[in-house]
Amino acid sequence: MPAMLKIENVTKSYAHNGKRLDVLKDINLEINDGEFVCIVGPSGCGKTTLLNMVAGLDFDHTGKILHRGEPVGIPGPDRLMIFQELGLFPWLTVQKNVEFGLKLKKMPSKERAKLAREYIDMVHLTKFKDSYIHQLSGGMKQRVALARALVLDPEILLMDEPFTALDAQTRDSLHDELQKIWSRTKKTIIFVTHNVREAVCLGDRVLVFSSLPGAVKASFLIDLPRPRRIEDEGLMKHVRQVLKELKFEIDKHFHEEYDTKEDS
Amino acid sequence: MIQKKTVKQIIFYSAILALWQIVAMLKIWPPYLFPSPLKVFDTLVHGFMDTTFIFGIIISMRRLLIGYGISIVLGGLLGLVMSKFKTVEDTLGGLVLGLQTLPSICWLPLALLWFGLNEKAIIFIVIIGALFSVTMATYSAVKNLPQLYVKAGRNMGARRFRLLIEVIMPAAMPPIISGLKQGWSFAWRSLMAGELLFLNLGLGYLLAMGRELNDMSQVIAVMITITLISIFTDKLIFGRIELGIRRRWGP
Ligand SMILES: Nc1ncnc2c1ncn2[C@@H]1O[C@H](COP(=O)(O)OP(=O)(O)O)[C@@H](O)[C@H]1O
Ligand SMILES: [Mg+2]
Repeated sequence: MPAMLKIENVTKSYAHNGKRLDVLKDINLEINDGEFVCIVGPSGCGKTTLLNMVAGLDFDHTGKILHRGEPVGIPGPDRLMIFQELGLFPWLTVQKNVEFGLKLKKMPSKERAKLAREYIDMVHLTKFKDSYIHQLSGGMKQRVALARALVLDPEILLMDEPFTALDAQTRDSLHDELQKIWSRTKKTIIFVTHNVREAVCLGDRVLVFSSLPGAVKASFLIDLPRPRRIEDEGLMKHVRQVLKELKFEIDKHFHEEYDTKEDS
Repeated sequence: MIQKKTVKQIIFYSAILALWQIVAMLKIWPPYLFPSPLKVFDTLVHGFMDTTFIFGIIISMRRLLIGYGISIVLGGLLGLVMSKFKTVEDTLGGLVLGLQTLPSICWLPLALLWFGLNEKAIIFIVIIGALFSVTMATYSAVKNLPQLYVKAGRNMGARRFRLLIEVIMPAAMPPIISGLKQGWSFAWRSLMAGELLFLNLGLGYLLAMGRELNDMSQVIAVMITITLISIFTDKLIFGRIELGIRRRWGP
């Protein structure tokens, strides 16, 4: 059976001061069905670009991106991205935001209202289903984004530094929730983060990207039991290993500020 | 707080009326040039009783709604096309920007030559009055749309027409509404300017008639009517729409 996602020799470049600048170079990756893969790497190393390409929002590249053996085409709800800035629709209520993709699928209104309700319940926002987005806290917005994506039953969920802007407590509780949802739904998740502890806590595998051009520098299997919590001592061994690789990359490009600590 | 504001307003307007009445009673100017508030009120009531004002309002509003409606549709389409096609943007865009600076009443001679002295000419002026505001507002709203919303929409499977209807239009709505509001006030001004120069029943015509007949109380009565209509449409229509937008998008 073909891998859930296979990235073969993908190179991506942008025009930069009249020259072509490689942002990603010779990326080779295989991700299995149901795997939770975390990506860490210096900012500007092309992590967002890679997710965009998998989502089909950015298609100008060489090499192949295969989803279950088929080249990925136009964007579609089988590969859903949760953007760093979320992109929830302020003109719609929570309920209508979650229904949005179902409406595009032409699901009858009663049915989609019911299904959206189930996912809103799942992320504990039942009381806020009729609120508008600006009325929600940062963590609640994350939950809406999660529900809006999951309700469409994607095969691959792409998450781009989703919890960066949250306070530590909210982030911890979203870690718990995300792990629960993942173990229940068995989605394939690619999760980009700045935070090494977070990556080790969530991922089956942690990939370290090098910068300019971005490439997979190292890969770590994290075979710790789940559910994991960010403060677990067991994580530390892996965190240190990942940090060592990452630090090497960052020292190479020391201009980037990096967040590797416990987080405040 | 609101009550305090209302009290202040009542005092303010009563003071204006009292001052006006006193000056009128001093008879510095003859009453036909400086009528008392009571006389104006009388004219107002009279105007409504004998239906001239009512017909004036109906006729003016009809012109306004037809002209404004057409310029919303036309301006919306033009703005959309301008924002989507580079060639149109580079050519028509500059022209629209230039024409926006020309007071719409300057189109009246042209309209009269094209359509003759009739309803079409005045509706044309109203259309032109609002058209460029609506066009520019739609254009810049769609052009400056946060791309994130478009990406999110496409990501969930929205394409072409659905993307336009479900994502682009609602996302662009707040700035478009301000453009529509501006367009409305320009349309209203154009209508009045046109009607003043144009001898066919309507509010502007009643204003011009007052002057012809040296009837200052009619002039003021019509001015008050026009002001009240403006305030009502502003508060009732645009006030509500803006409230709806604030409720959704937050302050
Ligand atoms: N549309 C674009 N045009 C030119 N350069 C771009 C564009 N988008 C991203 N880049 C460049 O590509 C590199 C990778 O960006 P990105 O994928 O956002 O990095 P990351 O998410 O890892 O921080 C950056 O150096 C950025 O400046
Ligand atoms: Mg990024």
